[in-house]
Amino acid sequence: MKYKYLTEDIIQKIEECRGRFPLKEQCIIPALHHILDKHRDIVPEAVIELSDYLKVPVSHIEGIVTFYDMFRHRKNAKNHIRICRNLPCHLANFHSLLEKIKEKTGADVGRSSSDGLWYIELVECIGSCGIAPAFLVNDDLYDGSKIKTEEDLEKILSKYR
Amino acid sequence: MSIRDKIPHIPEIHVESNLNLLLRRAKENRTVDIEEYETTGGYSALRKALNKFSPEDIVVLVEESTLRGRGGAGFPTGRKWRFALMNPPPRYLVCNADESEPGTFKDRIIIERDPHLLLEGMIIAGYALGAKEGYIYIRGEYPAGYLILENAINEAKERGYLGKNILGTDFSFDIKVYRGAGAYICGEETALLESLEGKRGHPRLRPPYPAQSGLYGKPTVVNNVETLSNIPIIITYEAYFMNIGPAGFYGPKLFPVSGKVEKPGVYEATMDITLRELIEMAGGVKGGKQVKAVFAGALGIYREDELDMPMDYSPKGFGGTGTTIVLDEDDCVIDALLVVTQFFHHESCGKCTPCRVGTYEQHQILKKLKEGKATKEEVNYLKHLSQNIPANSICGLGFSAPNAVSDALKKFSEEIEAHLKGECPVCFNRGD
Repeated sequence: MKYKYLTEDIIQKIEECRGRFPLKEQCIIPALHHILDKHRDIVPEAVIELSDYLKVPVSHIEGIVTFYDMFRHRKNAKNHIRICRNLPCHLANFHSLLEKIKEKTGADVGRSSSDGLWYIELVECIGSCGIAPAFLVNDDLYDGSKIKTEEDLEKILSKYR
Repeated sequence: MSIRDKIPHIPEIHVESNLNLLLRRAKENRTVDIEEYETTGGYSALRKALNKFSPEDIVVLVEESTLRGRGGAGFPTGRKWRFALMNPPPRYLVCNADESEPGTFKDRIIIERDPHLLLEGMIIAGYALGAKEGYIYIRGEYPAGYLILENAINEAKERGYLGKNILGTDFSFDIKVYRGAGAYICGEETALLESLEGKRGHPRLRPPYPAQSGLYGKPTVVNNVETLSNIPIIITYEAYFMNIGPAGFYGPKLFPVSGKVEKPGVYEATMDITLRELIEMAGGVKGGKQVKAVFAGALGIYREDELDMPMDYSPKGFGGTGTTIVLDEDDCVIDALLVVTQFFHHESCGKCTPCRVGTYEQHQILKKLKEGKATKEEVNYLKHLSQNIPANSICGLGFSAPNAVSDALKKFSEEIEAHLKGECPVCFNRGD
């Protein structure tokens, strides 16, 4: 089978993982993280390739992809914004932050922006309640309470364009 | 170049401590490297443990310290270790770094700022348990923490604190980090083990307990980050550890305080601190307003007149992870419950029907209640569910999911009445 999503560098990382952990199933979650980092999405073809490579049933990998929130089948944009909607961020009015981000990026919750740059997701607690409302842009964490003006937000978002 | 230049952005989180034990090196937003850790007394507890104590001595010290699990359940750590030691090797040590309870952000401070404290605790625990391998299961949403831990492990290996023949003894130990992928349930120890073995994070039926049959079917101890970070402190202070805090609940504890307070952040204190004192430590309620309710412990909900209870694990204490989320007079309890039930419904793994469906039903009823459309029968059904979800679920998520709802039914009946009549001043005057 020829691989499109399992590129050389990802295969190398999976091999590293295989050397570390005794079970081949233990490479699934790390491999999916690598696929997600590189392709910003886990499409069914990637799951089939991984299943072929690790010799693990597709159903097992699919079971993992659907169980863990970070691995959803969705056509994601270049940048993934995750806004926390849990209690401390709710009390700190994440809705107003969401509106600002929506306006600035053109994306909506569960929908990418038309320029393909942004995708917004509302997530449960991201363990940053001291800086509520907290949000992640890809892997970077930000303090929503510090965003007072449009410029503050623009300063952050401009790094990812 | 410090590790901070190579990892994702982490903003400043406020941290305060008068004890200077767990947070001694963690007050500023930076990562303490091994150099600094060593010069500030780091790894001296490991040296002491290996040179002065037998593994049995360490287990006895931990038992005598009355250290309790800081992950929420408050189970005595020494007893957990003793159970695992009753079973033959190989044994495994797993560190639970999957903190994801709403309002909890204490473990990330240790991981991101003082990772060697955790590693030192794990190495000592590994020695006491006769384990050869330890795992850290870190939640997927802490990518920076994952990289910091990997880096710290490499630093420790270079200096001979990890790997083969640690500090010239015949004890060998290795630590591996495993990243989760965004499932709250994986903080439950058996679900964590399933996830660590590369499966869906469904809790296992107990018995057998992880101490008998855990990771790869072998005896396993699963401890929280904060619990393991207490181990070097116990080894350093020995009997003096019992001078820290109240009898039976010795040792420092981290309290993450959030919501409507002046200075949200992580506070280190002894467990005799009351919730009221803790809120004062965090600068009091924002804007000098009154406390309406506090979500504390295992996400129970408390009234203003209950704030003088201590934050310990006694039946009268708050217990749990030490989480404190403050609601002021402008917040509606039903509105907050709606967020909490949505969370539990979302995070229920689906294995036990009462939890999977019950949390959904609770959320739907509360939604109607908030809009002023619920009936008295539905509120009674809410009560029925609050008793039946914990009674018919197999893990801690099901046991604690309806805590807040059942507490609110008991303690905030006037708010519920107001919603039944459509008269809540917060919800109905705001126009939403």
